[in-house]
Amino acid sequence: MKEFKIWLRYTNNSFQQVLSNRAIVTIFITGKSLRIALFLLFLNFLFKGTTNLAGYSREQIIFFYLSFNLIDTTGQLLFREVYRFGNMVVTGGLDQVLVKPIHPLIRVLLGGADVLDLIMLVILLFLTTWFGTSYISANIYSWISFAALLLNGLIIAAAMHVFILGLTIIFITVNHLIMIYRDLTAMLRIPVDLYVEPLRSLLTFILPLGIMLTFPAKALMGLLSPINIIISFIFSALALFLSLFFWHFSLRYYSSASS
Amino acid sequence: MRKYLTVFAIDWQNQFIYRLNFVLWRLRNVLRFLMTYFLWRGVFVSNQNVFGYSQANMLTYVFMVLIVQSLVLSSPSSDNIGGEISNGDLSNTLVKPISYLRYWFTRDLSSKLLNLIFAFVEVLILWFIFHPSFQIPANLASLMGFIISCILAIGIYYLVNVCSRLTAFWIPEMTWGLSFIVLVMLEVLAGGIFPLDILPAWAGFLIQLTPFPYLVYYPIAIFIGKITGWKILQIIIQSAIYLIVMYRFTSYIWHKGLKVYGSEGR
Repeated sequence: MKEFKIWLRYTNNSFQQVLSNRAIVTIFITGKSLRIALFLLFLNFLFKGTTNLAGYSREQIIFFYLSFNLIDTTGQLLFREVYRFGNMVVTGGLDQVLVKPIHPLIRVLLGGADVLDLIMLVILLFLTTWFGTSYISANIYSWISFAALLLNGLIIAAAMHVFILGLTIIFITVNHLIMIYRDLTAMLRIPVDLYVEPLRSLLTFILPLGIMLTFPAKALMGLLSPINIIISFIFSALALFLSLFFWHFSLRYYSSASS
Repeated sequence: MRKYLTVFAIDWQNQFIYRLNFVLWRLRNVLRFLMTYFLWRGVFVSNQNVFGYSQANMLTYVFMVLIVQSLVLSSPSSDNIGGEISNGDLSNTLVKPISYLRYWFTRDLSSKLLNLIFAFVEVLILWFIFHPSFQIPANLASLMGFIISCILAIGIYYLVNVCSRLTAFWIPEMTWGLSFIVLVMLEVLAGGIFPLDILPAWAGFLIQLTPFPYLVYYPIAIFIGKITGWKILQIIIQSAIYLIVMYRFTSYIWHKGLKVYGSEGR
């Protein structure tokens, strides 16, 4: 409960900081909306030249992209502080987090929620629900599976971000780690089935991005067996456990340089 | 000229300090390539010809995107100009007998050379892995047109990029400036994911009025023979006009910005 109150305070501060500059809010919301709209238009237009893509219809491909954005945006909303973590390690600012009597991940993982992504999330939630109910044939159980796998995807996203935090401590001079993660996830804007083996398995099971970003939409379309759903939950639990282990391991490499 | 050659040489050496960083930056470009490649490969599984493109045409286009983007869009200036204006570091260069904009352009060129070398190696490796059909320019005019349009694209991109960063003169807390919107437009409208001539004629006409298609799409369209004959000359003239207009506009914004610059933070 104490941790939740602290997180709320961090989030409140972070939101106020961003909202204090309306020009920034306007530019970034316009940019983010434009990015999604242009890619949606492209996907829609692509089907003027083909009838299906890896066996998926236009509506299914669009839904894959919308559900990708839902998880991706929620991840950015919650874990935005990871983007600033590199500087904290380089300057030794992490000291001030480690000495506080709360778990450091509350600060370095969840401490800088991004209100811009909250605005985008509301728009995306509406759009995805409307598109899913209008164009994807699904029963109530499929929707429940979809929601459960979205949450499961968020757990994997959290694990991936914790891994990045750990790697940032160990490889202090590398400043592209979070962007590499972003580029890896961006590969899943299209269904993982479009990739050939062994890349497909690598993206699905080794880096469980396929489970995180493609499986929810597949579950809604009824293309995921119950055993695959159970495997997804096992993978996310395993990813979270390993990431927390790796976080503690990486802290041994923190030298508090420049502090 | 000699001082800029020195800047080029120093920057070239600097790039080898953080080698892992650079390799990972190149990895990012390959990851982006993979999505586009497999998307189009998926389209051609059940089609021989899509939007007037054969599979060989399209996959050559996708491979050339990796090379042209490495040449045109790699620019360390984009990560630094806004921040230097915002935190006052710009003053360090202003007091030196060197042009700030030429200084960053020289550093960009150094970065482009290294990125281009790596891009060629990446394309070779990817070609050996995927074995796609690859199309080379049909004649010397296409090859020359490709090279000239790439050179013009480098200039246009630098100026568009600088212009979008100069907003930091007026809004210092926004070091990204308008460049976020520019980046978003660039993703789709430059032709990095798909060739722009697959769009309806009206959309193509509107996009042609922006600087984006001159950066990636037109050079590659010339390379793969989608644009031929006098049309190549027309595109090169349009690119040159864009370059001159952007140069004038950037100079104007730069001088206006300097008048409001207060070197805050120094």
